[in-house]
Amino acid sequence: MRALPLIPLLLGVWLTGPAFAANSSTEAADWLSRLAKAEQRQSYQGTFVYERNGSFSTHEVWHRVQDGKVSERLVQLDGAAQEVVRVDGITRCVSGALLAEVSSVPAVPGRVLDPLKLMNWYDLGIAGHSRVAGHDVTIVTLSPRDQHRYAFELHLDRDTGLPLKSLMINDKGQLLERFQFTHLDTANGPSDTQLQPSDNCKPVEQASVEAVERATGWRSDWLPPGFELVNSSVRKSQNGKRTVSSLMYDDGLARFSVFVEPSGEGGAVDARTQLGPTVAVSRRLTTPKGDMAVTVVGEIPIGTAERVALSMRAQEAQAKQ
Amino acid sequence: MSREALQESLSAVMDNEADELELRRVLNAVDDSEARATWSRYQVARAAMHKELLVPQLDIAAAVSAALADEATPIKVSRSPWRSLGRLAVAASVTVAVLAGVRLYNQDEITGAQLAAQQPQQGLSVPQVQGPAVLAGYSESADQPGPMANGVLQGQAGWQDQRLPGYLRQHAQEAALKGTESALPYARAASLENR
Repeated sequence: MRALPLIPLLLGVWLTGPAFAANSSTEAADWLSRLAKAEQRQSYQGTFVYERNGSFSTHEVWHRVQDGKVSERLVQLDGAAQEVVRVDGITRCVSGALLAEVSSVPAVPGRVLDPLKLMNWYDLGIAGHSRVAGHDVTIVTLSPRDQHRYAFELHLDRDTGLPLKSLMINDKGQLLERFQFTHLDTANGPSDTQLQPSDNCKPVEQASVEAVERATGWRSDWLPPGFELVNSSVRKSQNGKRTVSSLMYDDGLARFSVFVEPSGEGGAVDARTQLGPTVAVSRRLTTPKGDMAVTVVGEIPIGTAERVALSMRAQEAQAKQ
Repeated sequence: MSREALQESLSAVMDNEADELELRRVLNAVDDSEARATWSRYQVARAAMHKELLVPQLDIAAAVSAALADEATPIKVSRSPWRSLGRLAVAASVTVAVLAGVRLYNQDEITGAQLAAQQPQQGLSVPQVQGPAVLAGYSESADQPGPMANGVLQGQAGWQDQRLPGYLRQHAQEAALKGTESALPYARAASLENR
């Protein structure tokens, strides 16, 4: 009974603890940590489907981890045989259709999923257990804490932590995209021949450093909370006529890119479109550099994309360029 | 009093065909758990036959009894013949409450199939995002108004037709390079090429 006066004190400590404690389950955070490590540690091969509004496709993946080196090959099984081969985070080759604007050198090393950071912007929870591709899975939900991002539902393999199913859901509860394995083999890693690119996979020429400048001379006055700049570049278009600045932001899970280019002949640039999970918003912006077309593309709600597009500003120090 | 007779009486009460004697018999057995279980089973059978919604294990009587038990006992007044009558009144009102409750819940029109799917304790713990987990619950976002329509551009064609596909592709491919989950952004990028 002498401990009784301590109870309000303990309660106080508990309540003033980390803000996320009340909303996020630590079990869910543990599962996300497992997910973050799984791709770097686990070899697997399998087939999966990808579905979004207006598109359904099937793919095969081979993923091998050997001496800490990750080799991966992805091939679309229906329609055009689109293919990507990556070794250690560097794209070695892509098939024709994917080729157009790819750059093979990652500006920053691939970001690792950080549950502690995600908890600031999402409520993490465990929604139960299920089965995907014959494997028992735990369902982890990430519900957004504001209106600037979508909800996710991840079905993680109970043995390996690999994501076997991933759903993106908007604020109205509508499914925006589905990624789901139909077959997964974690026992046998892929062989060398399976990781060998096919003939229509064209090697990616390494983008020259001069062509890709890091500073773009653009910044955003407003960003949705939690989104940080992870990449920026200035690039000449193929015919060399246009210069396009691009900036990429992410909150640890969702991403969007901002493209800025001179709007040119004064044509109408305002546009909005949504392709499944990806939204694209274009706005004309009058700046000291002249009229610019700002395009925001990403997996964020359309209202947020619009606000970002209208918040882009030229950086003064760069204005003389 | 035999079990069969009681069950017959229960059935009669449920069908609204009980006479005075049968009603008394049922009211006397209202504290008998076995009789109550039988009553509950009859209700389920009746609801199934009539294709009505039934809330399983809805036991208003027990809740009322529990509430009464918790109630502070009023100071005992002199013994009077009213006391037994009062008891009867309480029991009768409990029965009325049960009947009224069941009738109230039965008002919703519902099919037999849905009734069969009903299980106690379900529907409460389902998280909100689990709806779309099944394809049956998949609502197309194409029913959104105007510019949100599936892949249709708002504004004039021309500038967007040239630029947007390239931007979409570049975003998807850079996301594929940056992300930890590599297969998903790749699939997004690939799906853009399938148009």
